[in-house]
Amino acid sequence: MRERRLILIADDEPQIQRFLGHALVAAGYDTCLAATGTEALAQVAAQEPDLIILDLGLPDMNGKEVIERLRLRSDLPVIVLSAHDQEMEKIMALDLGADDFVAKPFGIGELLARLRASLRPRRAARAEQIRQAGLVIDLAAHQVSRDGEQLRLTPKEFDLLAALAGNAGRVMTHHRLLQLVWGPAHVDDVPYLRVFIGQLRQKLERDPARPELILTEPGIGYRWAPAAEGGQTA
Amino acid sequence: MDKRLVVAPDPLMDKFDPPRLPPDDRRWMTAPRPGGFLGAALLLAAVTLAADRLHELLPENVSILLFLTAVLVSAAAFGFWVGLASAVGAIAAFNYLFVEPHFTLHIARPRDLVTLAVFLLAAALTGILAGRLREQVDAAKGRAAALEVVSRVSGDLAGARSTEDVARIALRHLHGLSQGPAVALRAEGGRLQLLAAEPDGHLPEASDLDAADIAFRRGRAELAAAKGWSGSRLSFYPLSVQDGAGNRRGIVLGHARLDPDRSDKDWREKTIEVVLGQSGQALQRLALAEAAEAERRRAVTEETRAALLASLSHDLRTPLATILGAVTTLRELGATLPPASQTDLLAAIEEESERLARYVEKLLQLTRLQAGIAAQMAWVDAGDAALAAVTRARRSWPRAQIAAELAPLPMIRAEAGLLEQALFNLVENAVKYAPGPIRLTGAVEGPELVLAVSDSGRGLPAAIAAWLASEEAVGAPPGAGLGLPICKGIARALGGRMTAARGVSGGAVLAIRLPLPPDPGGKGAA
Repeated sequence: MRERRLILIADDEPQIQRFLGHALVAAGYDTCLAATGTEALAQVAAQEPDLIILDLGLPDMNGKEVIERLRLRSDLPVIVLSAHDQEMEKIMALDLGADDFVAKPFGIGELLARLRASLRPRRAARAEQIRQAGLVIDLAAHQVSRDGEQLRLTPKEFDLLAALAGNAGRVMTHHRLLQLVWGPAHVDDVPYLRVFIGQLRQKLERDPARPELILTEPGIGYRWAPAAEGGQTA
Repeated sequence: MDKRLVVAPDPLMDKFDPPRLPPDDRRWMTAPRPGGFLGAALLLAAVTLAADRLHELLPENVSILLFLTAVLVSAAAFGFWVGLASAVGAIAAFNYLFVEPHFTLHIARPRDLVTLAVFLLAAALTGILAGRLREQVDAAKGRAAALEVVSRVSGDLAGARSTEDVARIALRHLHGLSQGPAVALRAEGGRLQLLAAEPDGHLPEASDLDAADIAFRRGRAELAAAKGWSGSRLSFYPLSVQDGAGNRRGIVLGHARLDPDRSDKDWREKTIEVVLGQSGQALQRLALAEAAEAERRRAVTEETRAALLASLSHDLRTPLATILGAVTTLRELGATLPPASQTDLLAAIEEESERLARYVEKLLQLTRLQAGIAAQMAWVDAGDAALAAVTRARRSWPRAQIAAELAPLPMIRAEAGLLEQALFNLVENAVKYAPGPIRLTGAVEGPELVLAVSDSGRGLPAAIAAWLASEEAVGAPPGAGLGLPICKGIARALGGRMTAARGVSGGAVLAIRLPLPPDPGGKGAA
């Protein structure tokens, strides 16, 4: 186990590599660089980084291809750097298993937060409890309480909540949530998913009109608010 | 967006059918002309005189033939009625000279009565037959003339490039056909203005203008007043089209009324109808071409805009991402950053800010390109534009090796500023992506002036090269940047195209190809 986590920066823009390099080192990570998809895959094999920051606009292959090849061999976390005109590609990358995305241009704080969320080991499905913002989610007993008061959730609602809260801070695409909760036959029923998210918010959020737990990523999916890292929780 | 052109139904678009040869039941006895009677009388007088003088030499039956010949000639020359009158005159003269008692119109002998009766019959038949023949010849001539005019009109109108052209061609033919003045009025926004007249300088009277106005408003012909009546002297026909905005515009053509007594009035009228109908069609064709051209221009503008936006987003985002990322790194991680890193981040911010400023500058120049692409064409010395671009590039990148090899180039129709910008972008592209010597060359190849920038790099990515040479303005491959799509946009705006090739040394050769004007020469060179 390395002292410092190693991050692979795969971006063809030298200027981006330049500032990311300084920033990640200052934030306590080691970095290595790749300017093409081919290079990135070679680096993954050679250096075994802990996470990849992958630009979707690499010159030799598109992000989807890089992720597909990566996923053949490992499940190492991938954070995608994307632009607005790469919306479709971004969603495809997330559906293929990229862990998260950051839209250019971005502040370093946002990237570091995503980085931390993606590097945190995923909560095992058998983790007995998730406590956040006054909520206690007992995964084993399929029970949820807020401020000590039991909430009544249907089995599907609970599965959805577990899928979201189990991946706190990470974006979950519509596609992935539908697949996890309803199975592969329903991956395109986004309106259906929205109804369930609405019901969950009604039951869990203090103000369902201004959700603080289940955040929307427009056009992409939902994100469970990251667990307290700087005293965000009540 | 459906902006199809609506063409007002044209009452004059009937099929043209030149007058047929007169069939039997047709009124083939057209009104005689006074001149015909005079000619026939003179001829008859001459024949009578000759018969009288030579009656010692000529037997009576030869004299009869002489008279019959005169009748035949008059009928053939002047038509049926003159022939008939001539026959009556001939009988009278013959009777007067040769029938007992001489020098009276009395008839003494029954034999002479029979002779006269036969003569009358022969003369009448001759007159009728010759007259009919005459009519047929006239009709055939009229038909041939009409067809000739019609074919000339079609040919002339096919070459018309503007409403004025159509009006002038129509007027020339209307003037010839109606044998009187003809005028064309332009209708713009509901008001009529004189566009042209034949003969030149003929001015329509107030009553004419009123009639033209009525014709245009009602969208149908307004015929001239008959002789002796007050009103317009000219018949007016509106030829209008509706443009995309739904405005009716067009011209009103007026021609003099045809003399109703003319024998060739028939074919002239028909031909006038054809001239009007074809002029209407020519106007429609022009309006459609105009609309299509406007549509094409709009499409090119849209495409260029989309292409620019696509490449813009790529080229603006990178410096922005660097600046924002570096600034937030300095602010949030400043405490843990070594001084060298801080300096490097600041340098990155500065460089990227400058890069951003250059893009914005380019964008500003481009807004014009986007805002209509109506390049303001003038005579431009392509060599000057190329040298200006090279000079600017040398100032921007003092260490780059940029050579200009420009043969003496002809003047072209272009906009100097846009051309210079496009060439500058090509040089900049070479400086950025292909280290090594750069050459800007200019030459004439066939109908095009070719301005090419060759570099010593590894060649252009195939996708970008293919896109550059394609007809499409949108869909620049990622990484094409801002410069090349702009170049392509400018080349198209100037009526030219771009090509990309691989040079002998393997570097890229990017060329802007502009059409040479039909008469290469520096007319009005600035």
